[in-house]
Amino acid sequence: MTRMPFIRDTWTSLLRLLRTFTRSPFYAFIYLVQPLIWLLLFTQIFKSLTALPNFPTSSYLQFFAPGLIVTLAVFNSNFTGFALLNDINFGVLEKVLITPVNRYSLILGTVLYVAVTGVLQIAVVLIISFALGATLVTGVGGILVTIVIVSLLGIGLTSLLGALALRAKRVEPLIFVSNLITLPLIFLSSALIPAYLTPDWVQTAMKFNPVNYAVLAVRPLFLTGYDWNAIGVGLIVLGAWAVAGIVIAEFAFRRFGD
Amino acid sequence: MGPMKNIIETFNLTKVYKGKIRAVDNLSIAIKEGEIFGLLGPNGAGKTTTIRMLVTLTKPTSGRAVIDGLDLAKDARKVREIIGYSSQEAGVDENATGREYLGLFGSYYHLDAQTIKRRSDEVLELMELSDAADRLIGTYSGGMRKRLEIATALINQPKLLVFDEPTLGLDVQTRLRVWDYIRQLKKEDTTILMTTHYLEETDKLCDRLAIIDHGQIVALGTPDELKGEIRGDVVALTLPLQEPDQQAKTIEQAKQLLTPQSFVKDVRATSDGLNVYVDEGSSAVPPILHTLEGAGVTVEGITLTRPSLDDVFIKYTGRTLREEKGTARGALGGVKPRGGR
Repeated sequence: MTRMPFIRDTWTSLLRLLRTFTRSPFYAFIYLVQPLIWLLLFTQIFKSLTALPNFPTSSYLQFFAPGLIVTLAVFNSNFTGFALLNDINFGVLEKVLITPVNRYSLILGTVLYVAVTGVLQIAVVLIISFALGATLVTGVGGILVTIVIVSLLGIGLTSLLGALALRAKRVEPLIFVSNLITLPLIFLSSALIPAYLTPDWVQTAMKFNPVNYAVLAVRPLFLTGYDWNAIGVGLIVLGAWAVAGIVIAEFAFRRFGD
Repeated sequence: MGPMKNIIETFNLTKVYKGKIRAVDNLSIAIKEGEIFGLLGPNGAGKTTTIRMLVTLTKPTSGRAVIDGLDLAKDARKVREIIGYSSQEAGVDENATGREYLGLFGSYYHLDAQTIKRRSDEVLELMELSDAADRLIGTYSGGMRKRLEIATALINQPKLLVFDEPTLGLDVQTRLRVWDYIRQLKKEDTTILMTTHYLEETDKLCDRLAIIDHGQIVALGTPDELKGEIRGDVVALTLPLQEPDQQAKTIEQAKQLLTPQSFVKDVRATSDGLNVYVDEGSSAVPPILHTLEGAGVTVEGITLTRPSLDDVFIKYTGRTLREEKGTARGALGGVKPRGGR
């Protein structure tokens, strides 16, 4: 293991984050209860949408479950930016950065943490949704594709917010930006309602929103089957999004000490 | 024994912030292997920026540095292997135990599991944290956090240990302990580079020191050499406390009165009075008092001392660091010699 410092460094930083997660039972509890609250609220509030002509399914839950999985990825990416800020403010990051640890490992460890905790939430959403009668027509394969797509989305957003935390080194800009972008990212996508029910300009905006590409790739897995076209586009767009995020975060790490 | 090797050499090291603020200005310095070297200076003098460049946290704008034969710009990663860095803040992770936190750094230094265990035990012992090792850092006191923070800087047995203000904000007892640790580390052949704005700290600990002001070295030498540059005695006068403006006027008036006197070599204002530099202190006190009281300037206290690093500092920077420590000298009626150091 010592011969592969990159893997070891990544593993070390992932384990540290997971340890913090499991040490905060209240946080872990909220993390897992949050999907339940969203599911109950949204399926009640938007129930009658299914009565509209051309709505893709007769169950809003069936429609919303994949949208919620994507929505939660957006929310949780925000949290990770704040976790990084904690390390910055307590002077931990500075001490870490003067060790020979690989910078990409620090980013990758965080990114894997987002993926692992994301998978936990996906599991919770699926279990509750199935219990309430939803189905996933593509089965286990669909779950794996969902995990990949949602992780790429989370990786890009986490990295960008992390880069912002590294530059700003203060909590206020992070709160401001995260409040500013979270809801537009979700509402300018088809996570909650189908695109055809929204005005033209919203549909145009969706084309520039990575969140929408995740929803488009994931939703058919629940409703109709593999939409390889949407999955392919999703992988390309979100892959580029994730790589761009990581490159920007690495740049921010290098400039951190200035 | 051959000539001592330099572990740090800098050549015109410069850091310019936002295109104009020259935090460090063409700094060239050589630090020998095995010594305790102090960078002394007022806040904002460029001490922290200098060491941040040396520990690879910040890139120099120009100039270069060689650490243990490695070029800082080209071999940053190798440099990181051999240094330990203790920052001003007690940077710790409250959600980890002391041992876990040390393990994190041991792992980032790529030590094997056995070495991490052994070194953690050693540094926990040295920092007197063995009993608290498995408690969450969130339960540690401020002094314990600082000691743990120092412990993390030692985990890789660094050849060069860099301390940024090792005792800033610590209570007296913890400060004395940290001094002991630093002396202990020197015995183990670690080179120590530290910044401080406590004169006493440099005087007690450092083999050599550099006084930095405005990003440049203004004086360099052993504490004794630097003190030796100021010959004779220092008569420190305290004037009664007044409104700041009025006090400054009185101090200036006193300075004007004393400067022309033949036995006076130099006069410098301090926060609450004046330092008068003379050849022979005891014979100078009566004429000083005579001159001042003849002009209606009341003297509240007189202290006769040998030149200290304080005086060296004032000589080179035109400022005193005394304000930051609060005025320990109060209204002392008579002549009370401070222990000459």
